[in-house]
Amino acid sequence: MKRRGLFLIVVVMLFCSFTVAYGAETIKIGALYTMTGRGGQYGKDSEVAIKMAVDEVNAKGLPGGAKLEVIITDDKNPQYAVSVAKRYISDEKVKFLFGIISSAIGLAVTEVSKEQKVIFIGTDHAATDLTANKFQKYYFRSANNTFQSMMAGAMYLKDEVKGWKKIAYIGPDYAYGRDQWMELKWGLDKLGVKYQVVGEYWPKLYEPDYTSYITAIMKAAPDILVSGFWGGDTVSFIKQAKPYKLFEKMKYFHVDAGGNYEALAALGGDMPAGIILSARHHNNWPDTQANKAYVQKFYKAAGRYPSYAAEGAYVGIHMIAEAIRKVGNANDTEALVKAMEGMKVQCPEDPSGFTSYIDPKTHQIVQVQAIGVTVKNAKFPPAKYMLGNLKVYPADKLWPSFEYIDYLTKQKGK
Amino acid sequence: MDLTTFVSQFISGLSVAMLLFLIASGLTLIFGVVNVLNFAHGSFYLLGTYFAYQSMQFFDNFWLGLIVGTVCAGVVGMIVEFFFLKRIYGRAEEGAFQLLMTYAFILILDDMVKFIWGPEYKTIPKPELLAGSFNIGSVVVPLYTLFIIVVGFVVVLLAWYFLMRTDKGKMVRASSLDREMLGLLGTNVPMIMTLVFGVATAMGGLAGVMAAPLRTVTPGAGVEVIIDSLIVVVIGGFGNFWGALLGALIIGEVLSFGILWMPEMATVLTFIVMIVVLVIKPEGLLSPKATGRK
Repeated sequence: MKRRGLFLIVVVMLFCSFTVAYGAETIKIGALYTMTGRGGQYGKDSEVAIKMAVDEVNAKGLPGGAKLEVIITDDKNPQYAVSVAKRYISDEKVKFLFGIISSAIGLAVTEVSKEQKVIFIGTDHAATDLTANKFQKYYFRSANNTFQSMMAGAMYLKDEVKGWKKIAYIGPDYAYGRDQWMELKWGLDKLGVKYQVVGEYWPKLYEPDYTSYITAIMKAAPDILVSGFWGGDTVSFIKQAKPYKLFEKMKYFHVDAGGNYEALAALGGDMPAGIILSARHHNNWPDTQANKAYVQKFYKAAGRYPSYAAEGAYVGIHMIAEAIRKVGNANDTEALVKAMEGMKVQCPEDPSGFTSYIDPKTHQIVQVQAIGVTVKNAKFPPAKYMLGNLKVYPADKLWPSFEYIDYLTKQKGK
Repeated sequence: MDLTTFVSQFISGLSVAMLLFLIASGLTLIFGVVNVLNFAHGSFYLLGTYFAYQSMQFFDNFWLGLIVGTVCAGVVGMIVEFFFLKRIYGRAEEGAFQLLMTYAFILILDDMVKFIWGPEYKTIPKPELLAGSFNIGSVVVPLYTLFIIVVGFVVVLLAWYFLMRTDKGKMVRASSLDREMLGLLGTNVPMIMTLVFGVATAMGGLAGVMAAPLRTVTPGAGVEVIIDSLIVVVIGGFGNFWGALLGALIIGEVLSFGILWMPEMATVLTFIVMIVVLVIKPEGLLSPKATGRK
C-alpha cells in the first residue's frame, strides 16, 4: 500500500512537471499601431522595438516559463480600433492592450480597457487627458505626455531665452496641437513669465503647403515661434520656411516632437542650425551604455536608427514583463495594476543616476526632459544635425501637476 | 493692409494655387475625357515623387529626376488604364466600379511604395540653382516659389496650345463630346483614352516631383493632396481644364488671405467657397458642356 501511494505521488509530480514544461502559458498582448500612411513609420519602428523587447523578456524568462506573444493590427481609426480591441479580448484572450499612436484612438480604446478591466499600455499617443482628466485605473503610459514636454519648454523659455516678449504659435488643428499651446501658456503663466501673443495659426493636420502661413507669421514678427507639429508636418514646415529666412528672424521653438529623429533624418542638411527642439527619445542623448546599446540594437535589426516611437513600445513590453514577474502570473489584473503603480522602469532615455517610474496616482511614466538646439552631427546618418547643448529638466518638477489636472478637468470635463 | 503684405500673401497664394492646379488639372482632364473620377490621382503624385527620388539616388540630378518622375508616373497611369480601368468602361454600375477600383489603387500603390522604399521619410533637395531667394522691395520671394509659378503658367500655355491649336488636341476635345462619332470617323478612341490618362497622371507625377523639395516624401502623401484637388475641380467645374486653373487660383488666394485676416477660419474658408459655388452654380464656375460616353 505504501509503495502504491509513493508511486501515485511520483506520477502526479511527473504530470505536474510535464504540464509546466509543455503547457507553459503564452501571454498574449494585443497591439494596435498605425502601419500605413504618414504614421506608418512609427508603427513599423514600434514593431521592431516590440520584437527586440519580447526576445529579451522571453530569453530572460517569466514565471512558470510563460512567453510573451504580441499581435499587431493596423489601427486605422477610433471605431475600427475599438472593434479590434474588443476582438482581441473576446477571441484572442489577450491580457494587455498595447500601443497606439493617435491620441484620438488612444482615448477611444481606453474606454474599452475600462469597461473590460483589461490593462492598456499606451506607448506613443501623448494627449495629457489620458493620465489626467480621463484617467482610469487600467491605463498606463510608457512615454511622456505633452504637458511634461511643454512644462519643460516653459522653464526653458524662462531661463534660457533672454529678451523676448512676443510669441506666436502654429500647430495642427486638433487636440494634440491645441493642447500643447494651452499647456505652454499655462506653464508660462505659472512661472510668472510675461508675454504677448501676436498670432495663432491652425493649419489642418498633414497640410502640404505652409507658404501662406509662413508669410503671415513673418508679418506678425514674433520673437518666439512655438510649433506643435509632428513628423512630416515638421519637415514640410521647416523646408518651406527656410528660404524665407524665418529662422534668422525669430527663435523657432518646438519641444514635444520637433527633435524627433525621423524629422532630423528627413531634413538632413536642410535643418537650420540653432533652432530649439526636443523629442521623447534622442538617439545621441544620454550618452549612456544603455541608450547606445538600444540604438545600435535597433539599427542592427531595422537597418535604420529608431524614431522616438520605438522607445515607448520597447519600454512598455519591459513594464509588462516586470509586473508579471512581481505578481507571478498574468491572470490577476488587479494585482498587476498594483504592481505597476510606482514601478521603476529603466529606459534607454534615462540619464545616469535616474530611473523613470510610474506615477501611482496618474499611471503616467515620469521622465526627465532634455531640450537642446540643432548642431552639426553626422554620426546618425542620414541626419546631419542632432540636438546639442541640452538642458535637462528634472522629472519630478514636470509631473504630476494636480493643479494642471484640475485646470484641464475644468476646461474639458472628465 | 500695406502693399508689401498684399504682395507677399498674393505670391504665396499663387504658389499654392499652381501646385494645386498641376494636380487638379490631371484629375479634371481624366474626368472630362475618359469620364473616370480617378480617386487614385494622388497616388500618381506620390509615385512621381518616389521615382524621382530613386533617379536621384542613382544620378544625383534634380532635373533628370523631374523627367523620370513625370514620365514614369505617366507610364504607370497608362498601364492602370489599359489593363484595368478599360475593362469597366460601359458596364452597368460603372460609377461604383470606378470608385472601388481607383480606391483599391490608392491602397495598392501606397503599400507598394512602402514595400519598395520603406516607411521612413525621404528627402529630395532643391537644385542648387533654385536654393536661394530674392527680394521685391521688402518681400522675400524664394526662387523655388517663382519656379513653381512659372512652371504652372508654362503648363497652362502648353495645354492651351495643344487643346486649341493642334489636330490631336481637337481629337481629345471631340472624344470628350462624342466618342462614338469619333470612333465612326476612324479615330482610335481607346488609344486616345489611354494617352490622355497617361498625360494626366504624368502631370500628377510632375506636381509630386515639384512639390517634393518643399514637402515630406512619405507614403500617404498622395491621399493628402486629393481632397484639396477635388475642391478645386468642384469649384471650377468637373472636366473643365480652365475651371481647374480658376478653382486653384481662388482656393490659393482665399487660403492665403484667410490666414492673414482670419487664421482660425482659414481652412474652413476653402470649404465655404466650395459650398457657395455649389449653391449658386452646382456644375462649377466654368461648367463643361454636356459630356458622357455614348
